Order: sequence, then structure tokens, then C-alpha cells
Amino acid sequence: MGGYGDVQMIDEDGKRVDGRGPGDLRPIEIEVGVVPVADGSASIRWGANYAIATVYGPMEAHPRKISRQERAVLDVRYNMAPFSTTDRMRPGFNRRSREISKVTSDALESVVQLELYPRSKIRVEIEVLCAEAGTRCVGLTAASVALADAGIPMTDMVVSVASGKINGVVVCDLNKEEDNYGEADLPMGVLPNTGDLVFLQMDGDLSPEEFQQAWDYNVNAAQAVHEIMVAALADRYGGGE
Amino acid sequence: MGEDGASDGRGSGRDIKLVVPGEALGPAADRIVGHGVGRRGDQLIATRLGHLCEQGSEVSVVPVKTAYMPRPGDLVVGYIEGMRANIWFIDIGAPFNAILPMSLAPGKVDYGATRDAMDVGTTILCRVQEVDESHSSVVTMKGMGLRKLNSGFVDQVPPHLNAQIIGSKGSMIQMLKEASDCRIIVGQNGRLWIEGEPEGVRLVRDALKMIRETGHAPGLAGRVQGLLDS
Amino acid sequence: MANPLVPGLLRDHLSELADRDERVDGRGQWDGRELTIEVNPLPNAEGSAKVTMGDTIVFVGIKFQIQTPYPDRPNQGGLMTSAELRPVAGRHYEPGPPSPESIEMGRVVDRGIRESGCLDVDALCIIPGEKAWQVIIDCFAISDDGNMFDAFALAAIVALKNAIVPAERFDVGEDYPLPISLMPIMCSYHKVGGRFVYDASREEEVGGDERIHITLGDDGHVHSLQKGLKGVFTAAEFDEIMTAARQRVSELQEIVNNL
Repeated sequence: MGGYGDVQMIDEDGKRVDGRGPGDLRPIEIEVGVVPVADGSASIRWGANYAIATVYGPMEAHPRKISRQERAVLDVRYNMAPFSTTDRMRPGFNRRSREISKVTSDALESVVQLELYPRSKIRVEIEVLCAEAGTRCVGLTAASVALADAGIPMTDMVVSVASGKINGVVVCDLNKEEDNYGEADLPMGVLPNTGDLVFLQMDGDLSPEEFQQAWDYNVNAAQAVHEIMVAALADRYGGGE
Repeated sequence: MGEDGASDGRGSGRDIKLVVPGEALGPAADRIVGHGVGRRGDQLIATRLGHLCEQGSEVSVVPVKTAYMPRPGDLVVGYIEGMRANIWFIDIGAPFNAILPMSLAPGKVDYGATRDAMDVGTTILCRVQEVDESHSSVVTMKGMGLRKLNSGFVDQVPPHLNAQIIGSKGSMIQMLKEASDCRIIVGQNGRLWIEGEPEGVRLVRDALKMIRETGHAPGLAGRVQGLLDS
Repeated sequence: MANPLVPGLLRDHLSELADRDERVDGRGQWDGRELTIEVNPLPNAEGSAKVTMGDTIVFVGIKFQIQTPYPDRPNQGGLMTSAELRPVAGRHYEPGPPSPESIEMGRVVDRGIRESGCLDVDALCIIPGEKAWQVIIDCFAISDDGNMFDAFALAAIVALKNAIVPAERFDVGEDYPLPISLMPIMCSYHKVGGRFVYDASREEEVGGDERIHITLGDDGHVHSLQKGLKGVFTAAEFDEIMTAARQRVSELQEIVNNL
């Protein structure tokens, strides 16, 4: 976290650089079934972020040694395409991507009913094609929609959002400029039907009050994002009522 | 599913309310938990993306997509993927391979001669004989009509669309057979064996493509009929 | 990449169709699938394109870096092409280091563009012997339903033609469009059921044999060729696909010019 306190990111009316209020999300668009060869897929545009998630399986677990007798293994990969960032991202092994893949997998394992598919594997691929800030949340959200699209049984869909602090003000869903000057970042994975959490990270500096505010922003924003996820699925599979 | 008959609401499968995983489906008391449904406290929830189906007191979700999970008795189209001296490994489109023991092969096979009888890449029509606790399955080729498929072509649809392909009382499959003049066998794993003149096979494949792409939307029978007529 | 199981029935059916001058999806021998091209869908790339051919979908993004020119070519910038076939794009892909297939794809796309001379490497020099632009073409597959070579090559030339050199960000002057003077286009032919066809689907690739990639530039000049996979072909067959390629390349050049 940078913490360049002298750059003004919020005006006198409390509006942010892109005109949002402190609790507002960036525009979000989700499309289901964008990868014809996959069992399930979704693309998501979230601000300038653009990510695609695909799901393959349940399928035979290869290599055999990773397979589990009592449940399926969830094989999650988060990756940023080389052209997704301002400076080119070198393809290949990357500690950051590995960590995000792992926490994403941990979050999804909390809802996917893996016990229904012993000895098999479910592959989840998250590819960030354009990164703006908050890609781990964007990727996790897209993966949930792709899993639902693939018909994978789950007890809920994970919705992921982040809030943070700029110029001492707590705001929801930091964009790239804000992220550069951010003083804290609190990404969460929320189960919209229960309010339970399956993913939580934080870095920076927040007072107890600020922390509570950021937490509340995330919980509220998760409901709004969930509505967009449901609408995207209904759009693909024919309406609600 | 997908029949455009008169709607009197309950129990007819006419309800096409889409539910998403985690969605609350009302109190659990006095209701039977069906497929794709789970419990959360005293509530029922959907655990899969699909259409809500309430029949009597049973609540279930008809998933929009589903992987093929073998059940004993299923007729399936398989590919030989490998072999040992006395068994073959068969790809039946399930999350794991099935086993075909030498003793369940169509004819007499000598120990060590599995490959001579059926090599990798051979297509077979077989039946699932047993499925154990961890979903390993054994298939058999002993039985009426079970055999090596030496001609024809295999196309594939996601297994959840099998019901659409067969149609109500077999109407769809009958329509396809008549329009194409092909022999068609629908495997429960979503693989269809089609044999006939290339034009006929093409026609069936076009219809299957339509079913793959639009099978989840109502009015399918009319669309396929239109395709076959054109 | 896991080797896909090739059902014998698929090969038989493909050759039965070929004997009748038909294809498995109803196309003619030299017909391509429905093609759509989207220009600059990726804001963080300096130029980008999305190409959809049937169910095959790829992205190409252009990035720039400043490097020290090679000592033997102090006045020239550089070009690098890489193709990534990540597991997102198909059931048969496995994670791991770049496969030989993806390296071949990147190199064949690279040769077509490099050898056509469409990119003026002298114009990429900023300070002779000290600073020059390196243009990086990253090919990225999202959905593999066959013929990734052509999809990548087409997306690459479209992305290059729409790329902006980010000079301001690197403090070396003002941004300007990357000058691309010529238009190399790749056409790929797969032998399916005993004869060559254009723009094979994955089903045709799996049940087919060798493939030949031809990159032609302006005025019919040949810039790169590649034969891939096991198989034998005759001079007469090559003649036939070369004729088909000349025709298709000029059609595609017109499509790209009218974007």
C-alpha cells in the first residue's frame, strides 16, 4: 500500500475521481456461456477489468496421484494474460498468481459439493485479459458463475468484492488510480444467501471504525453483484418467472 | 420438459422458474428433498442451476447441465482407451473410465489377446453392469444388441439433453429417424450412434447441433421440425 | 497437451465424406467458418484483436518494451511472438510449461510477420546502439475448436495494424501509430479423409493427418511455410492448396482493410 496522502482522490462533495460515491461499485457486466468448448464459462467486465472463467469436468483426475477416494479435487488456476497490464506480464510461474489460485480454490471448495464426485477432478480456469484493480475478486466472482453454468452442485455462489481506504476515506471497490494511492485493501468472498465468508484478505491500515465501514460496504456490494450474476444466468437460460 | 401444452401449473413440469445455487426454496417442513436440492437450517435451497420442479411434496431442480454419472443398466457408447492382458479400459464419457473384463467381451477372447479383439479407438455399444461406492464402473458387452460398432458415426450431446433428443414418448427421435432414414441409438451418456447415408447423417448432426445450442429453450420440437423440413 | 483418443469411426466417416467431396459440418473444401474480428477489445494492450472462427476464439495483444539493440544491428528494433495455449481453451489442455505445439504456433506466426517485412524494424530504433522498441505479440487462446494458427496470425496482423507506440509512457516522444505497410496472411490446410481442406475444425484435426501453413503477403509473395504432423503430400497437392491460398489471402486482406 502506497499511502501518498497529499494526492486528492476525493472532492469536497465526497465524489471519487470517476464520479462514484464512497459505497458505489464500478459498472459490472457478466455474460454466461462465452467459451463454446467449455462445460461452463462466463466473462465479466468490471470497470476496465475483463476476465474469463471456464470450467471443465468433472473429469478423470490426472495425474492419478492427485485424485481423492472420497471427493473430487478442485483444480483452480488464476492467471493474468501477458497483455493484461500496462507493463507486459511475463508468462509462466508467478508467486502472486499461485497464491491467488490457492485462496480462490479454498473459497470455492467451501461451497462446491465435491463429495458427489469421488476420484474425479473439476478444473476452473480464470484468465484476466485486462486488469484494472481487484482482479482476484473479479476472477472469483466469474468462477462462481462459470461453475453454476457448468451445472456443478454448490450450496451457494461466492461473490467477491473489495473495499479500501484512500485519503483517509473508506471506499468500496477501488479502481486503478485509487488503488495506486490506496492505504488499505480488504477483499472478501461472501455467500450472498447467508452472509457467511469464505475468502478474506487484508493489508494496509484501518482503524476499528474504518474496518467496520469497509466490511459493511463489502457485504452490501456483494448483494448487488449477486443480482447481476443471477440476471446473467437467467439471461442465458431463460428467465426467472 | 419443454412441452408447450396447456398449463395448469402444478406438477406438470410446466414451471420454468430458474433457480441458482444457494437460492432459498421455502421451508423444509413436510417437503421431500429431491435432486439438486439441499437443506439450510429449516429451509430448502437449490444446489444446482436449473428449473424448479415441484411434484406433490417433492421439490427438485432439473439442472440445465449435468455430467454423465453411470448407473447400472445404462446403455452407453464407449471408446476403447487402453487394455491389459485381461481387461479393457473404456471411455464412457463419465468422470472416470469404466472397465470391461475379458469375461464380459462379446465373444471368446484369449488371455493376452485383448488388443487383437478390440484395439484402442474402437467404438462399442455396451451396458453399465455395476457401479461401486467410489463410482468405478464395469461395463458388459454380453446382451442383446451389444457389439463393436464398425460403421456409422458417433455424435455427442450433453447428457442432460438426452430427454429432449428422445422427446415426449420418443417423438423427437422418431422424427429424426424418419427424416434422415438413419439408424440411431441414443446412449445414456449422451453419445449417439448414427448410421445411414451421409446426407442423412448430416441432417441428424444438424438437428443435434440445434438441440445442443437451443435445447434449454422452449419450442424445441417446432424448431427441429422446421430444420428437417427445410 | 494430452493426446486425444481418435475413434476409428471418426476417421472412417471423414474419408467417406471426403470421397463425396463433403465435409463433416457441411462446408465446401475451401470454405472457412464464420469469421468475426473485433478491433482493440483490450484497453491495456497497445493494440489488440479478438478473432472468432466458428467456435475458435483467440485474442492477440501487442505490448512494447525498450531494449538495447543487438550489437550487429544497432539501428533496428525487435519483434517477439509468443503463443499461449493455456488450459482455459480446451478440455485436452494441461497446465505446465509451453508445449511444443504452442512454441511451433508462436514461431510460425512470427516468421510470417517478420519475413513479410510489414514491420519496419529500422523505424523502431530510438537512439542507435542504445534504445530501440521491441514489439511483443502475445497470442492467447480462449476456445480451441481447431485451426488456431490462422486465428492467431489474423488477430496478430489486425492488432499490429491498430497498435499505438506508447512513446509518452516511456518518455521518448509522442505516441504514434505503429507503421504497418504490408499485410501477411496465413492460410492453413489440413489433410482430412485423404484430401486437404481449409480451416479445419478440431474434429477434423483430431481425425485428420498432416497440416500445411502458408503465409502470403502483398502481390502474392510467399513469406513462410510450415508442414506439421506426420504425413506425406505430393507436389500436385501443394499446388492445389497454394492456388486456394492465393484466393483466400486476397479475400482476407480485403476484410482486414475494411475493418
